[in-house]
Amino acid sequence: MAGVLSSLRYLLADFIGDDDDEPPFLPDGLPDAVAPVVSDAIHMLIDYQGNAYATLYVTRLRRFVGRRDVNDAMLGEIARLMAMRMSYQDPIRVAQLKLAELEVGGAPSHDVRRFRFDELIGALPAVVAEPVLDTFEWLGWEVRRRVPIRFSTRSRWGIRRLKIEAGLRRWRLFSVRYAKERVWVERWLHMIDRSLTKQPRAASAIVQTATMVQGHGDAYRQGLADWHAIIDGLAKPTFDGVLPLQDLAAAVAEARAAVTPDPRQAVLKRTIAEIRARALGADANAAAG
Amino acid sequence: MDTSHLAEHAGTLGTLFASVFVVATTTMRTMIPLRVFGILANVVLIATAIPSHNYLTIVLQAVMLSLNSYRLHQMLQLVRDVKKSVNSDLSMEWLKPFMTERRCEAGEVLFYKDEKAEDMLYIVSGRFKLVESGIELPVGAIVGELGMLSPSNMRTQTLECIEAGMILSVSYTKVEELYVQNPEFGFYFLRLASARLFQNIATLEQRLAQQAAHAAPKPA
Repeated sequence: MAGVLSSLRYLLADFIGDDDDEPPFLPDGLPDAVAPVVSDAIHMLIDYQGNAYATLYVTRLRRFVGRRDVNDAMLGEIARLMAMRMSYQDPIRVAQLKLAELEVGGAPSHDVRRFRFDELIGALPAVVAEPVLDTFEWLGWEVRRRVPIRFSTRSRWGIRRLKIEAGLRRWRLFSVRYAKERVWVERWLHMIDRSLTKQPRAASAIVQTATMVQGHGDAYRQGLADWHAIIDGLAKPTFDGVLPLQDLAAAVAEARAAVTPDPRQAVLKRTIAEIRARALGADANAAAG
Repeated sequence: MDTSHLAEHAGTLGTLFASVFVVATTTMRTMIPLRVFGILANVVLIATAIPSHNYLTIVLQAVMLSLNSYRLHQMLQLVRDVKKSVNSDLSMEWLKPFMTERRCEAGEVLFYKDEKAEDMLYIVSGRFKLVESGIELPVGAIVGELGMLSPSNMRTQTLECIEAGMILSVSYTKVEELYVQNPEFGFYFLRLASARLFQNIATLEQRLAQQAAHAAPKPA
């Protein structure tokens, strides 16, 4: 009987989101100073999604373990920020955290979070979310409008609802949001990797750019848009060799200081344009002189 | 003369005969015999349904017959193409019918270095560059064909689209499905992958030999 059940679980693994992977070990050669951060991150990601997801974290981190120009402090920051980004805040995560509060003996409480409508739908599997979002756009409905969602542990119904929402984590890796987050994390790691190759002095600044993308709703969208503006305008062209920026770290810091909560990014775009103009001008002068 | 009882008996016999093929179909382990037996079962069920004028069964079995025939043709064609490729230019063009089309914009990154590889890509048009090595891939190039068989399953470089174009992609899961469904395809696929690997080794050896020749001290 157990064999039949096991076969059925395997057959439906994709549908029920079964994760029968073993929990990952710490990567070989991980410095002792970084081990506690990585260990905490592994436990948190197992709780967030499952063993396979925590293994993905370890695999990603392994790219930087023992690498030249990556000291313990930088590796620790990569480990910490990657765990933060891989545990992005979607409605499923908020429900998980709310239930966790109750489990550790916290008093019943009631929160209202405002999510964008496309963010809520985006937490569902792509096969469901994409047609829904397409239909809404076709009907001309505003998918960016913010919707208040209640997360409450004050009533049995509220707790039941939170459990259902938290249970959606089984399909999280099939969601539209996850596909985007995966690309984002890979791009961030790729930029760190290229910085270590092309301009190692700027690697820490690139690592720290992950703090720009946090939370949910409009703040998250704004942070993401600002991050892409800085990477596309300064970091990538420098690594590609088309922008002669001698001090990328300082340029990134200057651009980050120009970040404002403006959806049009007027100040940020102007600052990036100025930095680029200065770098190109200095290069032209150096070539002429 | 009343022939209705004859049609009835023929129907019973036909159904019995078809049942044998249906049972036989379910016992098949691989795709080609499964389709062949499926086709035989469809033909017998159509023949049985004609005397009793059971039009619903006729239509249903005719649809299934077309589907089974098409899938069988696809499988046989696949084996033939892979076989041909092993013996000629080692091309992977035979995978095209199983691939899905995707448009890429300039600046889009198709995958990153060290990312887990999950699909094979075929460049149809546009310009694509391997970022780390700076190598531009030509139209018709296949990317990631060996990644499926490599133990680490990691991308070794980043692929960026530098001029908008079209690619075809097929997931490793799909190729694995074809491999499992059809042992003959699996065998030739392994031979083809090995041949491409040996070809890569030969190219590297040639480059090494050239470098060694350049580096060798000239006689005084």
